[in-house]
Amino acid sequence: MTDANGAPATPVLELHGVSKTYADVHALAGADLTVRRGELLAVVGPSGSGKSTLLNIMGTLARPTTGAVRVDGHDIDELTDRELSALRATAIGFVFQQFHLAPGVRALDAVADGLLYSGRPLRRRRRLAEQTLRRVGLGHRLGHEPHQLSGGEKQRVAIARAVAGAPALLLADEPTGALDSRSGAAVMELLHGLHRAGTTVVVITHDREIAAALPREVRLRDGRIETDTADGGGRTGPTRADRPGARDRRALREARP
Amino acid sequence: MTATAPPAAPARRLRPARLSPLDVLRTGGSGLRSRPARVFLSALGIAIGIAAMIGVVGISTSSTEELDRKLDALGTNLLTVAPGETVGGGEAHLPAEATEMIGDIAPVQSVSAVGLTEARVYRNDRIPAEETGGIGVYAARTDLPATVGARVTGGRWLNTADTAYPAVVLGPDAAAQLGVHAAGPGVQVWLGGRWFTVVGLLAPTELAPELDAAALIGWPAAEQEVGFNGYATTIYTRTEETAVEDVQAVLGATANPQEPTSVEVSRPSDALAAKEATDDALNGLLLGLGAVALLVGGVGVANTMVISVLERRAEIGLRRSLGATRGQIRTQFLCESLLLSALGGIGGVLLGIGVTAGYASYQGWPAVVPLWAMAGGVGATLAIGALAGFYPAVRAARLPPTEALAAR
Ligand SMILES: Nc1ncnc2c1ncn2[C@@H]1O[C@H](COP(=O)(O)OP(=O)(O)O)[C@@H](O)[C@H]1O
Ligand SMILES: [Mg+2]
Repeated sequence: MTDANGAPATPVLELHGVSKTYADVHALAGADLTVRRGELLAVVGPSGSGKSTLLNIMGTLARPTTGAVRVDGHDIDELTDRELSALRATAIGFVFQQFHLAPGVRALDAVADGLLYSGRPLRRRRRLAEQTLRRVGLGHRLGHEPHQLSGGEKQRVAIARAVAGAPALLLADEPTGALDSRSGAAVMELLHGLHRAGTTVVVITHDREIAAALPREVRLRDGRIETDTADGGGRTGPTRADRPGARDRRALREARP
Repeated sequence: MTATAPPAAPARRLRPARLSPLDVLRTGGSGLRSRPARVFLSALGIAIGIAAMIGVVGISTSSTEELDRKLDALGTNLLTVAPGETVGGGEAHLPAEATEMIGDIAPVQSVSAVGLTEARVYRNDRIPAEETGGIGVYAARTDLPATVGARVTGGRWLNTADTAYPAVVLGPDAAAQLGVHAAGPGVQVWLGGRWFTVVGLLAPTELAPELDAAALIGWPAAEQEVGFNGYATTIYTRTEETAVEDVQAVLGATANPQEPTSVEVSRPSDALAAKEATDDALNGLLLGLGAVALLVGGVGVANTMVISVLERRAEIGLRRSLGATRGQIRTQFLCESLLLSALGGIGGVLLGIGVTAGYASYQGWPAVVPLWAMAGGVGATLAIGALAGFYPAVRAARLPPTEALAAR
């Protein structure tokens, strides 16, 4: 991955010899991984292969048993829990399989609440939330509560919440896992769009097809990184999912910060 | 870091943002809004406890206020003098000139007296002599009502002309016993072996309740008709407000210089106040019940908070992933607990005011709830909320984010 001058883009995320052990289970063993600014990659592997463990460590929700993690220039080993919280509030966005939308809370408020810990005043949070919801194509659903939204729409609200603060890194754990294939495709389309707009995105999935559609693929098996297409030359050229609808592209370009 | 990693960018210091007080409130309240029924029920426990306490304090304050007003109206400057027992143990009587001597004390404004006679009074002349019904026949000076604050409800008070026609004025209890409902020329009672005309009826006299069961006849009539010995058995005196205690101190010696200690001097307003204050034990019991209700309410809030934290682990995990610090999670749940109990506290204060107002209006009292009680009630609930919310909030904050997120 290179920037406009051909120099490698700065890493957003660096993992060196990271392992995570639960009692006698080696959920993750000796993982090395570098994610550069602007990348879109898939972490793929069968169930129980350590994908979520890896995501939690990337997102500073858990500390590794051994190894070093750098996120957005910060060595997380040197950070206190408070500082990690601040790092998550500004630099990392999460999307989960289960959406995590509170019942009875309107989409606009859910997204605005995602910015609560970033220190922005309420009016800014609301404005950013509205902009972001429009950006993910939910401008007509601002006042809708979760029970009034389809699964795909819920996940788009969750994505809007994760990216409203323009984090350096977006981590999505099985974002299509609870969706039918059409809604899943729309969500992936949205993640591609965000990537094109400059966001660094890591998608965790057990779906090989979805993984194969992303520019870079990291395969996990039994807690080990089996292959990383970035090391092996990777894929080049646009993939199927890289052809966005014109409307989407225009909307994203306009909304780009 | 490996050698191939680019030089570390000078990492900016990471500082969690502070939530504004309004955001803290909003976040604390968000958990309550989605569970209104549970919030209502657990706030109700607190409300009942606070209402009980506010009610007890309010009702007793209202009753005190009523007493103060009553005493203001009746005056606290009435003193009574009665013969006590002699050193030998026999019945003493006040010297004949005692009333006059008391009237000569400088701050004394008025003085009057009654004297108990041996006469008996009956409905008519056919009632057996032993059925006296506890009504005392008193000789009364004509200036008695002004001094004791007695009020005539029907007919008129005794006057100097009553010597010609034997006349009697009945206290309310005496009238009821004798079956007399109205005063007038045709209404007679059998008193001391002859007919007396009931010329007036008295209303209850708060500061001299002994008059309620009295048949009062004129002083000369008593001496002439029923063989009254002429000695006053109770002397009533009104004094300048500022000199009541001084006068009280010298009354005994003034009334009976020979045997000052045998004289019983009392201040009826004190007795009235003491009578009103005897409900302390009941108040203590009610306050205790209120405290128990409050304790139970507090346990209810703690229970609600523990459940709330358990149910909302996923939300806690989400908030941690969004950048909430442990402290912010702790604050959120503590705030929720405080809001919950404050809701109960405010509800309880309102309920307590309602109970006080209802009871006071039923009794015809002014309703008074002291400000300190209201502030204390709300303050107590906040303390309870803090106590009840502390443990659940700490538990919520200690929850590891990944574990919280995994909860379903
Ligand atoms: N908190 C935990 N305690 C014990 N074992 C765990 C815990 N979290 C994950 N594991 C184990 O670690 C392995 C990897 O889990 P996970 O990262 O969730 O896999 P994936 O997301 O790929 O399905 C599994 O064997 C799982 O049982
Ligand atoms: Mg998983």
